This record gives sequence, C-alpha cells and structure tokens, in this order.
Amino acid sequence: MVEISSDIIRGYNDTIILFLLSEAPSYGYEISKKIKALSEDKYMIKETTLYSAFNRMEKNGYIESYAQVAENGKKRTYYRITEVGMRYYMEKCEEWKLTKDVIERFIRK
Amino acid sequence: MEALRNYLENMFANLPNTPEVQRAKSELFQMMEDKYTSLIEEGKKENEAIGIVISEFGNLNEIADSLGISNVVEHPQGIERRHVSKEEAHHYVIEKSHCSFLTGLGVFFCIISPALPSLFEDALPEQLEDALGGAAFFGSIAIAVALFIYSASKMKNWSFLKRYPCSIDYQTADELYKAQKLNNSTKTLHFIIGVLLCILWLIPVSISDALVESSYLADNVMPCIMFLMVGIGVMLIIFSLGKDKAYTTLLGLNDQKTVAGNYESTKSREVVYSNETIANIMSVYWPTVRCVYLIWSFLTFDWLITWIIWPVAAVIHSLVKKNFTEVA
Repeated sequence: MVEISSDIIRGYNDTIILFLLSEAPSYGYEISKKIKALSEDKYMIKETTLYSAFNRMEKNGYIESYAQVAENGKKRTYYRITEVGMRYYMEKCEEWKLTKDVIERFIRK
Repeated sequence: MEALRNYLENMFANLPNTPEVQRAKSELFQMMEDKYTSLIEEGKKENEAIGIVISEFGNLNEIADSLGISNVVEHPQGIERRHVSKEEAHHYVIEKSHCSFLTGLGVFFCIISPALPSLFEDALPEQLEDALGGAAFFGSIAIAVALFIYSASKMKNWSFLKRYPCSIDYQTADELYKAQKLNNSTKTLHFIIGVLLCILWLIPVSISDALVESSYLADNVMPCIMFLMVGIGVMLIIFSLGKDKAYTTLLGLNDQKTVAGNYESTKSREVVYSNETIANIMSVYWPTVRCVYLIWSFLTFDWLITWIIWPVAAVIHSLVKKNFTEVA
C-alpha cells in the first residue's frame, strides 16, 4: 500500500490544523481524531508533530491557546484561530491550488 | 495509564527544566491520555491501547526545534549519569536501614560499657570482680567497634551514590516517595520512644533512690538501667533516621536542572513554612538552641542534665514542622 510521504505533508500540517480550527476551537486529541477521520485513515498525525505545529503557530500568532475545563472535569488546552491565522490559511490554500495545478501536469494518469 | 506516564517522564527526564519543556510535557500527556481513554472506550485492551498510543507518539526531535532544546536531544547529556535501577534503590534502602540499626546497636554498646563493671561490684570475690568488670567493659567496646566497621564497610559499596552523578527514573522516584511517606509514622514512633527513653531514665532511678536506701539493686543495678535506657533510646533515634535518610538520598539524586529533578515526588524536599513569623523564628532556631545549651551548661556545669535540651528541641522542631509547613 502506498503511504503518504511525511516530507510532503509536513508543509501542509499547518493548513490542515488551521482548517479544522477555523470550523471550531478544539484541543489536541480532537484535532488528531478529526484528521484521521477526514482523511479516511490515510493520514495519522503524530502527537509530537501536532504539538510542534501548535507551538510554532502560536509563536507566529496564527492561533491562540486557552485553558478550559472539559466535560469530564479535566483542564484542557484549547486552541482557536486568529485573524492572522485565517489570512495565512487562505494564502496556503492559494499556494496549494497552484502547486497542485503545476504538479498535476507532470503526473501520468 | 501509569505506563504512559513513565514512558513520557523517561523520555523527558534529561531535558532542561524550563516552563516551555514542562508545558510541552503536560500537553503531550493530555493528548496521550485522551487517546488512551478513547481507545479503551472503543473496547481495546489496556496493553493494546498503550501500545498504540506509544507507537503513534512520534519522537522528540520533532518538538526539539520549537522548544530550543535540539542541542540536548541530539547530544544527550553533558555528563554521563549512572542510572540507579529500581531494584538497586530498594536494595539500598534495605541495606541502609540494616546498617543504621547496626550502627545504633554499636552506639548502644558504647553507652552501656561504663555501666557494666558496676554490675559485678560487691557481688563477687574481689579479683574476679575486677577481671570480669574489665572484660565486660572492653568486650562491649570491642563489639561496638566491630559493628561500626562492619556497617561502614557495607555502606562503602554504595559510596558511588555520593561520588558520581546518578539518576533514578520516574517510576522509582514515585515508589520511593510513597514508601517514604508510609515509613513516616514508624519513623516518628521510633524517634519519640527513643527521645522518651533518653528522658525517662530519671523515673526508675529516682524511685529506687527514694524507696531503697542502699543495696546492690540501688547502687549497682540502677545506674545500669539508666545507661540501658539511654542506650536503647539513642539506638532507636539513630535507627529511625537511617531509613528515612536513605529515601531522601535517593530522591535527591536527579539533577535539579532537568525535568527529572522536578518530579512531583522529589519536589517536597524543601521545607516551606506557611506562617512568616514561624519561618523567621525557625531560621534561627538551631543556633538559638545551641546558644542556650552552651550558656546553661557553662553557667551551671550540669553537663549531665543540660543535654536534655537537644532531644526536647528536636521534638519541638518536628512538631512545628508538622503543623506549620505546607507542601511546596
């Protein structure tokens, strides 16, 4: 079975996470669960990858974190997207469309 | 769940203890915990769930850059730390408490040695009396010295704990911490009985003084009983502190600058008083006690009695510590 190349997808982890956060604020495990579900089990993000993306994007101001008590009474860190993050996401979408358009021309059907 | 905690703690053990690293650790644990819980809810077995979580965890290189710790992750540890395994740690505790018992026993023999010859006085013909008395005196000192040498040589095997930098892992630290807490009441009990014996020798001695004028019992046995009680008391005090010291030594092994040095279980080594006045008083407590002891002793020259200050001061100290400290 062909597996996804982590080198390629690395550049788009941020885009994936920002897309999910633009729908609703969320926390680590929920995001990784949604990624797995939306990709139909084809892509599974590792915890360390996810955390490093959170950390980097928070430093860049794309997302904000806040603590919230979850249903089960435990404190959890939630993340939400900022306006800067939203703009960055749109840019990434344009970038991907272009990339896809270019690469597609070189792929044998 | 404990297994996941151990996995994560051991992975982070040698990283510097900075807020960023602590945050990463707690965030990652949150994710692992969530994933584990939902796998269990899906009906996975515990081992299976742990296996999945760990295999999908990734590795620290991924977060190293964003935490500014790539240096540590790529070139682990500036100094090589000798790892003390769980078995070794438990073995050390047993041996240390064993040796502190033997040391205590040695001190006991030292204390009773001067009293032994008096047991033979007036009870036997004169030449025998001196010979047996002397033999008992030197005999018990010899036993004491033998015990000291034996326990010192036993403890020598463990001198690496002090000479080399060592470390213990999270699980060991956790277990030791719990064991130390469990041992606390035994320790206090031994300590209190020990201190009481050091003080209460006055009672049988003064009772016999009051009741019997002069007899073999009052003149020869009673001093012996006094030394015996003090001897047992001191032995108990030494023994009670030995095991606790072993736990404290082990829990203090990890480098304070790393995450490992900051395990919840190793943190409470420092005493923090909840009340500022008490804290101020306690900071000069032992020097004051020492001054009072010396002044009283030199003014009255009752050295035989003034040492009572020490056990009494120790009891007051532990009472204050118990009632006015908060867990840091």
